[in-house]
Formats: sequence, structure tokens, C-alpha cells
Amino acid sequence: MFVFASSQRWRTVRDVSTPLDMTNQPKRNRPSGFWNPWLQLTLSVLCVLLSEFLLKRGANDIADPSNAWSWTGINGLASPLVWMGIAFVIASFLSWLYVLKYIPLTIAFPLSRVVDILVPLGCWIFLGEFISTRRWCGIALVVIGLALVAKPVARIEERL
Amino acid sequence: MTFLAFFFILSSLLSFVCAQLVLKRAMENTQKSGFRNLRFISRVAGGIALMTISFFLTLGLLQRFDLSYLYPFQGLSVIIISLMAAVMLKEKLTLQLTIGALLISAGIVLVSLS
Repeated sequence: MFVFASSQRWRTVRDVSTPLDMTNQPKRNRPSGFWNPWLQLTLSVLCVLLSEFLLKRGANDIADPSNAWSWTGINGLASPLVWMGIAFVIASFLSWLYVLKYIPLTIAFPLSRVVDILVPLGCWIFLGEFISTRRWCGIALVVIGLALVAKPVARIEERL
Repeated sequence: MTFLAFFFILSSLLSFVCAQLVLKRAMENTQKSGFRNLRFISRVAGGIALMTISFFLTLGLLQRFDLSYLYPFQGLSVIIISLMAAVMLKEKLTLQLTIGALLISAGIVLVSLS
């Protein structure tokens, strides 16, 4: 994913300037720099990662399974951690919308699930948690799957 | 209780998948017709509404179950969304993409089972 972010060329059918895009770049080029769709995909994944941790912590804090309304999750709004999680969800949502404009869902969505292995890897690296053999196998499968999904993209980017 | 849990897990998954498809449709059209039209606004609003439903359902589920129990179901969304995007949005789904999506899902399930 990070490899794609460095590639500058991406063909779009029409002028890609948006109201957000203030730079004077040539038309028919994919936006580069901060507005590169692959960079936005990366940012979106990082925001999701942060929000997952915040929401789980928040949900734990105010867990009240005896209350029937808690099935809807609405009582979660009592936790400030949940609100911080929501802020990151919104940020990831905005960059995700931008990603959807340029990248097909069949490619973007599988790639966005890299977050599912970043969570256990984050726990391993930063929290020193143990990762079992089975979990390592799962992580390996996801990485192979990601490579398969990403490979055609790399080819498209080369050709253009 | 288990049926209820299954129902809520399925509802949150389906509303999430539908939201992605609706949003993709909405953003695709902006390349042709821009942001200031009723179709774009209604699609984005619909997508956000579905995302919100899925979000609160997940929050409710997280209060009852471990993240590791709920995650395999999120893994399924990769396959479902790839298939639905191919069928409903006419995106090209190659064999390689399908196998990749299957491996990612299988990996996510393995990660969360251990």
C-alpha cells in the first residue's frame, strides 16, 4: 500500500479537481501529494485503527447488559472515549469517501481490511501481547491475500 | 439470546455492506455530475444513515461480546462486498481478486479465533 502511495500517476477519465483541491496541477492526472487516493486510503486505515481501540475501551467503560436499550448501543454516548472514537470514525469516513471516488470497491475494500491484522500486530509491538501460532498463520494469510489484491493495481499503475 | 445476537450481528453486517455500495455509487457519479445535485446528496445521506445504524448496532454488540468474537463476522464483509460490487456496480472481479479476498477473510477469521 505504501508503495502505491509513492507512485504519482493515475489516469482518471475526467478532470479530477474538486473544491478541496486548490493546487494547480495538470488535468487528467491523479491528484498527488496529500490528495493521492492511496495516501488517503492509508490515513483512513490509521483512523479506523485508532477508533477501534477507543470504541472498545469506551464500550467497556459503560457496559450495561441488563439494560435492553444497550442493544442499540445508544448508551455508549455517555463515554468520552466513544466520542473520541466517533471523531476518528468521521475522519476515516471522509478520506474513505475520497478513496471511493478513485479506486474500485473490489480493490479498495479488501485493502482497507489491513486494519484487521494491524490491531493484533499493534498489540504485539506496543503492548507486548503474545501472538499464537494460529494467529500468525491468520496474519500470513491476510498478507498473502492483500498482495494478491494489490498486484493487479501495481500493474495498472505501471502501464499508465 | 443467541438468536438475538445472530440477528444483530447480521443486521450490522448487512447495513455496513449496503452503505459501502451506496456510497461508492454516490462518489462515482461525482466525476460526471459534481456534488450539488439531489441524487448525490440523497445517496450520501442514505449511506451515512446505514453506516450510523451499523455503527450503533456494533457498539451494542461490543458491550456484550469480546472484539475477538465479533471480528470474524467483519472478515466476511470482504467477500460479501467484493461479490456485491461485482454484481451491482459491474466492477471487474478477476480470479486473482477473488482468491485475494477469500484469503483475507480466512486470515481475519483465523486471527480472531486464536
